Amino acid sequence: MSYAIGDRCNGCGACTRVCPVGAVSGAKGEAHVIDASLCIDCGACGRICPEGAITDPFGIACVFVKRTRWPKPRFDRRLCMACRICVDACPARCLVEAAGDDPAGPRPYPLLKEAKRCLACGFCVQECPVGAVAMAEDS
Amino acid sequence: MGYGYTGRILNVDLTRGTTCVEEVPAEVYEAYLAGTGLASFILHDRIPPGADPFGEENILAFVSGLLTGTGALFSGRWMAAGKSPLTGGWGDANCGGILSPAIKRNGYDGIFFSGKSEGPVYLYVKDGRPEIRDASHLWGRDTVETEETLIAETGGTATVAAVGPAGERLSLIAGISHEKGRLAARSGLGAVMGAKRLKALVLDGKRRIDVFDRAEIRDLSRRCNRWVRLQPPFLPAAPAALIGTLMRVLPFQMAMDGMVYKILLRKWGTGSMNQISVEMGDAPVKNWKGTNRDWGLGRSYSVNPDAVARFERMKYHCYSCPLGCGGICVDAGPYGRMHKPEYETVIALGALCMNDDLGAIMHMNEMLNRAGMDTISAGGTIAFAMECFENGILTRSDLDGLELKWGDSGAMIALVEKMIRREGIGDVLADGSRAAAEKIGRGAEALAMHAGGQELPMHDGRNDPGFNVHYSVEATPGRHTIGAQLYYEMFRLWTEVEGLPRPPLFYMKGRKYLPDEEKALAAAACSRFMNVANGAGLCLFGLFLGVDRIPVFSWLNAATGWRLEAGEYMEIGRRIQDRKQAFNIRQGIDPLSFRVPDRAAGRPPQTAGANRGRGMDIVAWMRDYWRVSGWDEARGTPGRGGSGR
Repeated sequence: MSYAIGDRCNGCGACTRVCPVGAVSGAKGEAHVIDASLCIDCGACGRICPEGAITDPFGIACVFVKRTRWPKPRFDRRLCMACRICVDACPARCLVEAAGDDPAGPRPYPLLKEAKRCLACGFCVQECPVGAVAMAEDS
Repeated sequence: MGYGYTGRILNVDLTRGTTCVEEVPAEVYEAYLAGTGLASFILHDRIPPGADPFGEENILAFVSGLLTGTGALFSGRWMAAGKSPLTGGWGDANCGGILSPAIKRNGYDGIFFSGKSEGPVYLYVKDGRPEIRDASHLWGRDTVETEETLIAETGGTATVAAVGPAGERLSLIAGISHEKGRLAARSGLGAVMGAKRLKALVLDGKRRIDVFDRAEIRDLSRRCNRWVRLQPPFLPAAPAALIGTLMRVLPFQMAMDGMVYKILLRKWGTGSMNQISVEMGDAPVKNWKGTNRDWGLGRSYSVNPDAVARFERMKYHCYSCPLGCGGICVDAGPYGRMHKPEYETVIALGALCMNDDLGAIMHMNEMLNRAGMDTISAGGTIAFAMECFENGILTRSDLDGLELKWGDSGAMIALVEKMIRREGIGDVLADGSRAAAEKIGRGAEALAMHAGGQELPMHDGRNDPGFNVHYSVEATPGRHTIGAQLYYEMFRLWTEVEGLPRPPLFYMKGRKYLPDEEKALAAAACSRFMNVANGAGLCLFGLFLGVDRIPVFSWLNAATGWRLEAGEYMEIGRRIQDRKQAFNIRQGIDPLSFRVPDRAAGRPPQTAGANRGRGMDIVAWMRDYWRVSGWDEARGTPGRGGSGR
């Protein structure tokens, strides 16, 4: 399963720059390709492609969203158990562990430190075992 | 490819400097799971009989668990495995942190190192692409420096496992360090890594793990998490210590419920037992010859869990752990930030050596973590040397001028320094107490408290004979993380597995010491269950909740899509146990030689303290275990037949 680049690619390179695993290659101005063996299905390329040239693993065309409008993870401290799964799952490595207050002592709760690097992939939401993470657009 | 596992391992030949990806058939996972099960399947055949643990033929495996990365809680354990230079047989070591998901996020279930590099190297794997890199600039540096340097030079997001100076100098009690001071400490596998001149493993991967039913896993995890979050307020440390006293003076005992221990672990970590264990007779004192009377509440007060907690700045959680038993401490010493000393460390460097100086224990803990040396074995070896000194077997001149009296924390620190550097007497002691006793002679062997060469951990088999059984019968002897009568009570396996005995809620203490079929079945069940857990990458402390609260078997089914019953998973555990034992037989180990020393078995029994009058015929217990495992009752060799279930 992998994302794929179709005919509408104009070779702008936006997807190459955003891909967290270096799966996209191609010369400037020419059609790019995604290496299916490296793709982790984060969908960042689909969201950033201004031409709508990218299809998801089901073959559905992705829709361009302005990066400032990409949703970001919000953490519910009451449910969060500081298990570090979301921090580990983040392919953009934009989450860090920060000591949050807890009656029984500080624990390594997740914090979105580098919001600009967030890919809006939602892996943190999908992997959280207790539903403590949700995606929301910045207000 | 299946679900839950990646179906691939990475083989690295350090002699040739080559790497190759190997596909592992689905049948192997169905028969052995991942983790140590997978390692036992592969290493049994590929390490030839009589292989030199430090030679090219030995293979060092880093394996991840089957449940790691699937959303199952407590699934962040990774394991190292290989032929142990300390015991000469199967060696494995278990550690938490974040390396287990890092292995899988590179698309592998394990990384297997064979051969030996000429110069120091480290393996860097980025998104599944391996690269062997030069590590000359890191050789000789401690584990914390190595980890910081490697993370910085690979872009700041990698995960590292490394050996320190102890492993480089082939100390037989060296471990592999991860997250700046968590160690896969036992079995001496750090020395195997050092012998291969492999300084570190550096992983940076982002792949996701395919799971059969992630929603089901999440549902199970949520239910399990409710038990973990159930945390009523608990006593402060000083009155809590009296629980141990009460347990000692009562003539009867109650079957332990793991929820009690869970509450202690969440509040204080393993250090919650620092005083309670001594009081109840679970912690060995003065190289196993002392008792709780030598180490009363007044002496152990300095290491009480509240005292340790004063240094704690933040709780430490391993990957996917809702409990968080670890801690990051800051002290005024030269190291500053460090991991909180675990119970095993506090007793090994404390009560076992009659040392009540918490500052010195924390300092030595950090020295050993940075050197990559096992604190249990180091403490056991120092206690051994102290008793040798007391008995005149080692003199001041033998000890390079050190006055190694019981409880002299200054002398202990100096000795640890020498062991790390392998200077003078430190060179003799750096290989553990068995090797040291062989070199020292003069009757020192009787004072070395080891099973099969591995120093005994800090749980006294004269208090719970189940510990002695597992110290003696496991393929990796002297391990406290596999089974005990106490563990069997907490695992509550009888609630899921048919045919297993249910212990009574209350029983007289004398019952514990009578070997019978039920206890042998319980011990074999602990071994099998922990093999399943180590195949799944689960943490022992999570399992203490009991299988009716931590859904081990349901998680495995939901992750893989298999439809196996609990009993069938236990059968997998049995297969792994057989495989590890067969490894030892193939390597020429006599299973009887792994039995605990007479002193630890209560032969003769102690005359005072919590365990007075307690003793056991350990060989009889071992034979019972072998019989119910379906092994040869006289020799402990696995084979067909027998009455094992």
